[in-house]
Amino acid sequence: MALSLRPRGRGAAQPNIPTASMGDIAFLIIIFFMTTSIFSREKGLKIVLPEKGAETKIKSENILTVAVNQTGQVLIGERVVNIPEVSTLVREEIEKNPSLAVALRVSRKAPYQVMIEVFDQLKIAKAERISLMPVQEEEGGGQ
Amino acid sequence: MTRIGLKKAATPNIPTASTADIAFLLIIFFMVSTHFRTEKGLKINLPRAEMTERILKRRNVAAIWIDATGRMTVQDNWVNPSTITALMSEKVIENPEIVVLLQADKDVKYGFVTDVLEALKDARALKVTFATSYGKGGG
Repeated sequence: MALSLRPRGRGAAQPNIPTASMGDIAFLIIIFFMTTSIFSREKGLKIVLPEKGAETKIKSENILTVAVNQTGQVLIGERVVNIPEVSTLVREEIEKNPSLAVALRVSRKAPYQVMIEVFDQLKIAKAERISLMPVQEEEGGGQ
Repeated sequence: MTRIGLKKAATPNIPTASTADIAFLLIIFFMVSTHFRTEKGLKINLPRAEMTERILKRRNVAAIWIDATGRMTVQDNWVNPSTITALMSEKVIENPEIVVLLQADKDVKYGFVTDVLEALKDARALKVTFATSYGKGGG
């Protein structure tokens, strides 16, 4: 018993779905998504903050302090350096002492751009242990 | 004189059956890569940095915007460091993997940034990314 849905006999017409315009529709949707999409601009420099109260003690000889003062000058130890030099200097220090931690002390009045540039230099130097030290100076006119 | 191909020029034929497939493939790519911006944020100029990395999991990102004068917003609401602590600790409870994206203007005083960082430490939102645009040197 053949339960066929097709009409037999009078030369069944081929069913036909027009697909010629499908590409056009698809491209229309593409254009919509292209114009509305924003490619993820979420880029940046990663850091993991230390937990409050879980600060680890590091021996003072294993700390390299990089400081940025109010005017945006960068100091390593006591020396004023240019920002592009920071990466090479820090890398040298890390080669001398692989367990070195870098402490970045930035004045509250320093521009953010300088801090990012120095932080970038530390990343270029492959410093693994970077800590951002909160500086509580000059809030009430210097302490 | 004999000509080649004089028989009967075959009608040129470009197969178009697969253009739709290609187009839909591209659509799927755009649908996956797109995300509709849900917050307006503030008008800022990002600082430049060479080691700029991409945040891979976009769903885990919460942005804090700081403009050049030190005003801050989270999801287009004005906030200050103490409200940031409250807001972010909720978000950390919801999603412990959350990454805070700090969208700060390059000319802002670092004091505002360090206040936010302290607020984030209080909120235990410890994964932070400083939003930067890729580029050499300062802009």
